[in-house]
Amino acid sequence: MELPPETRAAIGTVTEHVYEVSRKDIRRYAQAIGDDDPRFRVGDIAPPLFCHSLAFEDVPVDELRADGLPTELDLPLPTERAVGGGSSFEVGAPVRPGDTITVRKEIEDIYAKSGRSGDLIFVVLTTTYTNQHGEQVARERGEFVNR
Amino acid sequence: MAGATLTWDSIEIGDRIPSLVKRPTPMQLFMFSASTWNRHLIHYNTEFAISDGLKNVAVHRALIGGFLAQMLSEWVGDAGTIVNVSWSVRGSAAINRPLTLRGEVIEKREEDGRRLLSCEIRAENHENETIAPGTALVRIG
Repeated sequence: MELPPETRAAIGTVTEHVYEVSRKDIRRYAQAIGDDDPRFRVGDIAPPLFCHSLAFEDVPVDELRADGLPTELDLPLPTERAVGGGSSFEVGAPVRPGDTITVRKEIEDIYAKSGRSGDLIFVVLTTTYTNQHGEQVARERGEFVNR
Repeated sequence: MAGATLTWDSIEIGDRIPSLVKRPTPMQLFMFSASTWNRHLIHYNTEFAISDGLKNVAVHRALIGGFLAQMLSEWVGDAGTIVNVSWSVRGSAAINRPLTLRGEVIEKREEDGRRLLSCEIRAENHENETIAPGTALVRIG
């Protein structure tokens, strides 16, 4: 399957936002996972995959799609729905309250593959999280499958 | 914490990571959506999820990753750090049913003075089907 030009054009799109981490953010993430490790419960240090809570951009409700799909995944794809995906999450320097994290997202690739039940479109989104000291705190390469 | 006793010399290939059982509820999914500011309806609106072809609200890919990371960090404790967690979602985790996180050590190596463990990890649903296979890299010391 050949990708439509508008889909191909989305490859390489970069977005960036900055979040300040609070103890509340860490505690709420740990509570959402159900991880009651005392360090995370108090919020002195963040759980390994905490940066997921910084992944999505703050967007007012009227700028979201009707289904609320994260804006970074709202791409012009010739498919109807997301059907799964994978992730490789590198854990870097620890995240603590007061850290300022720059979140940089890049649509690294979009490609088509023929599956048993039709064409599948893969979107590769790489998200890099860097703290105020320039240290990488996390990097995730996510692959989203659409049909 | 069990991880406090984990040492490089005591770890052997084939060692099982103590499993962790979760039972994701709609409330937990809502809390995870709120915590990650993920507003996608498939995670908290049953009607929408069903119209999208699902049986119920969808357990987030990132939440399954968070569960796997919790299993790893409870095992490792203060003995080391998690370097990488990779997982792929192949099926749906059922709501209000046990979801079991498992893993085992498949390789032990020293690289540039770093003591590394490669692990195979997975999330299994209540019917013992692996819905999310993956791998992890852990550094000891």
